[in-house]
Amino acid sequence: MTQALLRVQGLTGGYGDVQVLWGLDLEVARGEIVCLVGSNGAGKTTLMRTLSGLIPARAGHIQFGDVDLSYANPERALRAGLAHVPEGRRLFSAMSVRDNLLMGAYLREDGVGAINADLERMYVHFPILKQRHHQAAGTLSGGEQQMCAIARGLMGAPRLLLIDELSLGLAPAIIEQLCDTLRGLHREGLSLLVVEQDVATALELASRAYVMDTGRITRHGQSDTLRHDPAIREAYLGAL
Amino acid sequence: MLFLQILANGLVLGGLYACIAAGFSLVWGVLNVINILHGSFIVLGGYLAFFGYTQYGIHPFVSIAIAAPLFFALGYVLQRTLINRMIAAPVLLTLTLTFGLDLMLANGMLAAFTADFRKLILDPPLGILRLGALVLPIDRIIAMLLALGLTGLLYLTLSRSRMGRAIVAVRMDREAAALMGVNVKHVYALTFGLGALMAGASGPLLAMIFPISPLTGPVYLGKAFVICVLGGLGSVPGAMIGGITLGIVESFGSLWFGPEHATTLSFVLLIAILLMRPEGLLGRKGYA
Repeated sequence: MTQALLRVQGLTGGYGDVQVLWGLDLEVARGEIVCLVGSNGAGKTTLMRTLSGLIPARAGHIQFGDVDLSYANPERALRAGLAHVPEGRRLFSAMSVRDNLLMGAYLREDGVGAINADLERMYVHFPILKQRHHQAAGTLSGGEQQMCAIARGLMGAPRLLLIDELSLGLAPAIIEQLCDTLRGLHREGLSLLVVEQDVATALELASRAYVMDTGRITRHGQSDTLRHDPAIREAYLGAL
Repeated sequence: MLFLQILANGLVLGGLYACIAAGFSLVWGVLNVINILHGSFIVLGGYLAFFGYTQYGIHPFVSIAIAAPLFFALGYVLQRTLINRMIAAPVLLTLTLTFGLDLMLANGMLAAFTADFRKLILDPPLGILRLGALVLPIDRIIAMLLALGLTGLLYLTLSRSRMGRAIVAVRMDREAAALMGVNVKHVYALTFGLGALMAGASGPLLAMIFPISPLTGPVYLGKAFVICVLGGLGSVPGAMIGGITLGIVESFGSLWFGPEHATTLSFVLLIAILLMRPEGLLGRKGYA
C-alpha cells in the first residue's frame, strides 16, 4: 500500500446504548476502489455514517489525508473531501435534479463557474440526468435516482466517495452501467469506498475488499484472492 | 358593479393575508413549530410603523425596510438560543413554548403601549383611485402590492438562492441535508428569522388599514392558521392561494351575512376544507 487516503483504526461506535462497531481497522489508498461486503446487520451502514460524521465515533481514530476526522461532523468531513452517498439515495424528492446536484455543491466556495463546469461534467457521466434536469428527483426511476445521488455526492468535489448500497434494487444492466461510470471516475482520480450486498459485483468492481460481520472486519484482501477463498465462496457467492 | 367592488376589496385583503401566512407556514412546514408568536410579531411591527410615523415622521412603507432586518435578527436569535433546544420535542411542546413567549410579548406590549386601539392615519392621505364605479383607496392598493411583493420575494429566496435551497432541503430530508454539509441548526434559525421577518414586515402594511392593539395578535394568528390549512402547509404558493381565497370569502361573507359573521365564515371554510381536502388546496407535495 502506498499512501493511505483513509486510515481507520480501532473504530467503535453505534446508536445510544447499542454498540454496533467493535474496533474496526480499514484503509483506502489514494486512487483505490475498495468494497465493503457483509450480510444485513453487519454494521456496514453504521460504519459509513460514522465515517462521514453523521453519528459520533465512541473511540478509535479516523485519519483522512492529513485531517483528523475522528470526531468530525458531516460538514467538516465534506470540506476535507469525503462525501457520502447514503443508503436509499435520500434525494430531495420534490426538488429538481439540477437543484439536487447544486445541493451537493452547497459547501463549495470556488465560484459559480467551477460549480457549473462540474454540473456539465456530471451530465457527461450521467447523460440521462441532463435530459431530466428540470424533473423532480422523486419522479426518476431507481437507477436514475442512484445516478442522481452519486452525482450529487460528486458535486461536493470529494477525493473519496462513500457509496452505501450501490446496486440495491437495481436491474443488472443498470448496475453494469453504474460500475462502468464509477470506473471512469476512478480513472479520473477518484477514490471509492463502496458498500455492496452483491459480493460478485463488489469483487469485480474493487481491487480490494473487506468482509464485515457483527461489527468487525472478519477478512480482507485483494479481490482476486477473496474470490477464490473457500469460506467466502460458501458464505456469499454460492456455487459458482 | 357591487360584485366587482367586493371582489377588489377581497383581493386587497387576500394579498395582505397571504403575506401574514407565508412566514407562519414556512416555520410550520420546515421546523414543525406552530409559532404562536407570529400574531404578536405582526402587532409589534405595526407599533413600529405607528411610532415611527407619529414620532419621527417615517413613512410606514419605509418602516417595512427597518422592520425586516430587526425581526429577522430577533427571530434568528430566538430560535438559536431558545427554540432549538426543544426542536426535537413533539409539536405540542414547542407550541407551548411559543405560547408562553407570546404571553410575555403580548403583556409586555400591553404594559408599554396600553390596550388602546391606535390608528395610523397618513397626513396627507394618498387619496383614492376611481376606475369607473370602482373605488380603490391608494394606500390599500400599495399595501397589497407590497404584501404580494414581499411574498414573491420569499418565494424567490426559497426557490432560487443557496440559502433557500438549504431550507427546502432540510425540510425534505434533514439528515441528507446534513450530509451536504448544511448546518441544520443554523438553517432552522434562518427559517425562523425569515418567518419573523415576514410577520414584522407585514405589521406596517396592516397598520395602514386596521387599528393596532396588543390584543389583535391572536386575530392575525387565527387567519394565518386558516390560510395554512386552506392552501396547504409550508408552501408559499399555498399561502398565496389560501390568503386570497380567505380574503374573497370574508369580503363576500360580510356582504351577504353581515361583517360580524366574517370570522365565523372563515372557520366554517376551515372545517369544510378539513373534511373534504385535509391536505389543503395545493397539497403538501409542492412547496417553496
